Formats: sequence, C-alpha cells, structure tokens
Amino acid sequence: MSTSLINIINDWVPDQSKVIDFGCGDGSLLKELIDTKKIHGYGVEIDTKKIKECIAKGLSVIQQDIDDGFEEFESSNFDISIMASSIQCLKDPHLALRRMLKLSNKCVVTLPNLGYWRCRADLVLGKMPVTPNLPSSWYETDNLHLCTINDFEKLCDDEGFIINKKIFLNPNRDQSFLASRSPNLFASEGVYLLGRE
Amino acid sequence: MNIVKKLFHFNEGLLLESGLKLDSFDLMVETYGELNGNKSNAILVCHAFSGDHHAAGEDSETGQSGWWGQIIGPNKAIDTNKYFVVCSNNLGGCSGSSGPTSVNPDTGKVYGKDFPAISVTDWVNSQKILSDFLQIKKWHLVAGGSLGGMQALQWAISFPDNLLKCGVFAAAAKSSTQNIAMNEVSRESIRKDVNFFDGNYIEHNTKPKNGLKAARMLGHITYLSEKHMDVKFGRKFQNTDSKVSGNVDYEVENYLQYKGEKFSDSFDANSYILMTKAMDGYDASINSDGNLDKAMSAIKCHLLIIGFDSDWLYPPQRSKDIQLAGMRANVNCTNVILPGEQGHDSFLFASEEYDGIINTFIES
Repeated sequence: MSTSLINIINDWVPDQSKVIDFGCGDGSLLKELIDTKKIHGYGVEIDTKKIKECIAKGLSVIQQDIDDGFEEFESSNFDISIMASSIQCLKDPHLALRRMLKLSNKCVVTLPNLGYWRCRADLVLGKMPVTPNLPSSWYETDNLHLCTINDFEKLCDDEGFIINKKIFLNPNRDQSFLASRSPNLFASEGVYLLGRE
Repeated sequence: MNIVKKLFHFNEGLLLESGLKLDSFDLMVETYGELNGNKSNAILVCHAFSGDHHAAGEDSETGQSGWWGQIIGPNKAIDTNKYFVVCSNNLGGCSGSSGPTSVNPDTGKVYGKDFPAISVTDWVNSQKILSDFLQIKKWHLVAGGSLGGMQALQWAISFPDNLLKCGVFAAAAKSSTQNIAMNEVSRESIRKDVNFFDGNYIEHNTKPKNGLKAARMLGHITYLSEKHMDVKFGRKFQNTDSKVSGNVDYEVENYLQYKGEKFSDSFDANSYILMTKAMDGYDASINSDGNLDKAMSAIKCHLLIIGFDSDWLYPPQRSKDIQLAGMRANVNCTNVILPGEQGHDSFLFASEEYDGIINTFIES
C-alpha cells in the first residue's frame, strides 16, 4: 500500500481506537496504525500465506472469507472498520458495506474508479481497461464489481451511508487539482470515510 | 537432540478444583534442547488425553517416536536447537506421573478408582509448580493440541504473566455435547467389561482390556476424517497373512483392532475414565459465570488458534469461537483454519503451512 494512502487512512483513524481491517493482506496498514496510532487492531484475511506475514509482524488476524458475512464481529465494539482496495472483489459489496457500518460507526473504503479517463479510453479502443490501479488482465483479475466514483456515491446515497470525508487520488496516488475537481473522470482511486445516519 | 527424562517429586500439596488435596505428587517430565542462561527460551508442550511426557525424539528404551515428533526437534517447527522444550505427563495419567496406578502414600495401596478427579486447571497448576521449580518465570510458548490445546488456553487464563505466547491447536474452549456423548460410550464399554470390577481390577490382578480396546477403537474413528479413512483404507480387504484376528474383513477393521489392542496393553482404564472426565468437564468460562469473554480478558499473551477443516471432533468453528471471544476481550489473537487431511489428528502432523505458521509465531 502506498505511503500517501496509508497517511490518509492514518489521519482518519483515532488514537487507541479498536480497528478491523478487512482484506488486510500482509498487514502493512495495521502495523503502521499500531506503531503510529497505538490502535488495537485485527485483520481479516483469507490467504494463509498473507496471514503468515501478519503473524511475523505480531498482528492479530482471523482467517475468513468476507463474502461469508461477519455478523459475529458485531459484539466486538470496533470503532472503525477498513476495507482498502477489496470492495470490488466481493460478491455483494453493498451487503459488506452495510455489515461494516453495523459493526462500527465509521468505515474507511478505498476503491478503484472505472470512470477514470484511461479506463474510458481503453473501452473506447475496444479493450478491457488495464491501468496502474487495475493492473490485471480481464481473465486474471479478482475484481467482480468495478464501479465509477459516481456509481459508488449513488450507492452510498441509496443505502443511506453518510460520506464524512473523501479524497481522490491520481495514478501516482497523489491528490491533484484535476482529480479533486472532476473525480469521476480524473481520479483513479477514491478514498472514503463513511458513517451512518 | 539432548533428551532428558526425569521424575519430579513435589512435597508441596496441590489443592484440586474438586476441593480435595494431593499432599504430594510426582510428575514424569521429558525435556529437549538446552535452557539458556536467562531461562527465556523455554517452551512447554501439553499432551492430548492419551499422550504422555514423551513428545519428541526416540525413547531410549522402546525406540518409540514422541507424539509431536514431527513438530519438535532440531530445525523443526519447534526448534530444539534454539528452544528448551518441556513436556510432562499429566496428573492422573499412567506414564509415571501420579495417577490411578500410583501408590496412595496414606494407605500404601494403589489408588485405582480412588485417585481424585483431576481437571485441566489442576494440570496447569501442577505445571506451574514445575515451572517454579525449574525457575522458568515466563514460558516463551505454551502450546498443545486437542485436550493439550485446552490446557494451553487455561495456562494463558490462569497465569497471564507467565507466558509470552500460547498455541491452541485443534481444541475448544469447552467440550461439546457430542464430545461428552462419545466419551460416555467409551467409558460405558470399559465399565461393562467383566474384568472392570467397579474400577478395582488391579486388586483382582486383571484389567478390563476388552472394554478399553473398544473405547480406543471408537476414539480412533473420531480422530480421523471420513475422507482420510477412505483414502487410507478405502474398502480394501485385509491381506489374510496380516490379519490380527479371524473376524477381520477390511483393512480399516484390522487397523482399529491393532490400535485398540496395542492401546489396551499399555493404558490404564481408570486413567482413561479420569482423563475423559477432565476433558468433558473443561469449560474455560466456568469461573467467569459462563462468560468466555470475561475469562479471556485476563489473557496478556499472544494467542495462536489453529483449527483443521477435516476435524469433526473439535471442528474449526470451535477454534473460531475462541478467536471471537478473544476479539471481544481485546486479546491479541490469530485464528487460522488449515486444510488438515487427518481429521482431528491433523495437529500431530507436520505440513509446510502448519510448520511455517507455528515457527513464524514462535519467532515473531
């Protein structure tokens, strides 16, 4: 995960909060949050090899398929839940978001933007988009539910998720004037802090 | 690997959970590797219900491999080149520690069925006395599988300051109704053996071998998975030359007959009953009003909870239950579900994933 993305999430996570990171991968984000914010964190990951990397970092992880649901975490009193670059890989992204906002008041979501101009250009040229954010070819990708920034914000609106903060990044994962001004066309990635009504 | 086998005699009394007291007790202990100068490299491993102190290497007399020989040894997941590994035969067992086959110092006679009921917590308390004697203030790791996993979990709850890490493998925070039911069938077959004599078989110079054998045969079915049995034996007929008895048709029958026979030669029936009762009675939340979260909130060490997807005796969900309670109680805990092929017994066998995870956890 890029430094700038980690910094953004870091800013949004309160000190000493109880955090759950869905699709935590090798645990870099959790480790960073523990070191800088003294959080009490848990990761959710399905891949045993990645879990091993988390164990090496001394992290706490539960092996689970997010698509199977996670209602049993609701009694754990998490302050904030995170899903970085994983939402588009789930079978039911909208259900996962609902569940995340049931188990914590706040939720950080990052997602690639299919409306990004290079994706649109690839489609105009008659091929599936391959960009720094969407690096895999159509037959290898784990992504099931790609969407545009507008699509995602409409889902939040329909579902009653409150967008408390949002930051848009260009392919270098920097904030830029264009990406902030017209995110649906110029942002390759959206970073959201959601809450519930 | 440096293997040392030693009988420890403790004159200090041990107050048992039942309220009874053992005025003195013995623990048969085996150790592997060398304890370092500041005594920070000690690992305690806890055996499953029919296991004993012989966890690794080959026994000097019988040549038999230790029950966790695939996991413990030089350059293995629990590396005896780096760690000093300790395993004790649990109280109530029949491999050298005080148990039903020991002599009651008050009467001068063998305890037999009168050996007091022992609980998992009693084992932990007896091992704490052993660690104090060895001057090991903090175990680097306490780990075990099955009933040994329950014991490791209880260590973390009972003595949170005395271990750094805890490994709970193929275990549960309490026995399930089905576990108790299976154990009761085992016990019934022992009790109904004509040679049981209400537990006083030693006085009659006999033992309820048939009952013990049937109990063990049932046990072995529960330790394996349906798939693994299918792969290992299928519906193959046993070779006539190697049949253990004339009644045997299939390989699986021969296997169970052989295992049951071997076990019934060496294990004590009263110990079997005592150990299964300890297993049935275990509930990590019992001293916290049945609230596992509350019980686990005492834990300070890192917990590694491993379940195996082919285990139907302590299914992976039981390991996840421990993880979920740990998460509610803010314990540092990790739950991994591995594709063990050998059912409940999977915790005994090395595999790249299993070894890698245990070793990474120890070194983290």
